[in-house]
Amino acid sequence: MSRLTGWLAPTTTARAHCDLPCGVYDPEQARIEAESCHKINEKYAANEDVAFRTRAIAIKEERADLAKHHLDVLWHDYFKPEHLATVPNLHDLFWNATKQVSKVKASTDAADSRKLLDMIDEIDAAWKATGGADKTRVAGRPG
Amino acid sequence: MERLRHRLRGPWRLAIRQASMEPTIREGDWLLVDPTTTRWPRRGTIVAFLEPDSGALAVKRVAGRPGERVPFGSGYLELADDEAWLLADATAEATAAAGFGEPIDSRRYGPVTVAALIGRVWFRYAPIGRIGRPPPRTLARPTVPDHRRLDEPRPAG
Repeated sequence: MSRLTGWLAPTTTARAHCDLPCGVYDPEQARIEAESCHKINEKYAANEDVAFRTRAIAIKEERADLAKHHLDVLWHDYFKPEHLATVPNLHDLFWNATKQVSKVKASTDAADSRKLLDMIDEIDAAWKATGGADKTRVAGRPG
Repeated sequence: MERLRHRLRGPWRLAIRQASMEPTIREGDWLLVDPTTTRWPRRGTIVAFLEPDSGALAVKRVAGRPGERVPFGSGYLELADDEAWLLADATAEATAAAGFGEPIDSRRYGPVTVAALIGRVWFRYAPIGRIGRPPPRTLARPTVPDHRRLDEPRPAG
């Protein structure tokens, strides 16, 4: 039977092609973008040159958009309903953090960007509590 | 003659990976293909072809034939004389349930030229419980919004 199956088996493979999520998720991506926003806010406060400040605002808005994107991907693609048992306030964490990103995008106050970093750290703790480092990174988080 | 000889080399049989043709064709199905097909078959037929972006061998269903208009964005595209519009059967929910991302088809990579056509899928011969012709699907001629073609030049100003 197995010889027959081997003889009948196709030698060519075709794909009924779908997107293949890579499965790598880490709040660190959002944190690095949020850190950029925070550093830019600090530099903004220390420099009164108009051209510098204009560029700083434009770059901070870009970084804030990226931070929000990474948080959204983490929320929608990594976290699953069963994680609510471990992190009951999961949706509040993301809801508040993404709202805070919008605030950071519109503000140049370093207190706002510092608050965002703290919120991402809470999400990071949720990611670790649900086994994110082992499940999604190739060999855990470096360092 | 050389073209016919090339086509007769196949492939005549295909093993399917991934899930964008669920529930009609599932991962692991073995299919028989007619590689002598040199024109786009009627709408609703499942075909094997080479994807425009990757060159990978794939299967999808013909949803629009040469010369037809297909909905795209807020308007439509008009297919050239050698192009078809190929769509997945599965919804994003169905592929997600099978552990995959969104189906990838002409909505992603655009029309497919007949040069990329490999053959017509006509029979599933494994697994045993699913032997038979993949259920045909009657697809009506695509209806398109009556406003402008998306591939025609925009008027100046």
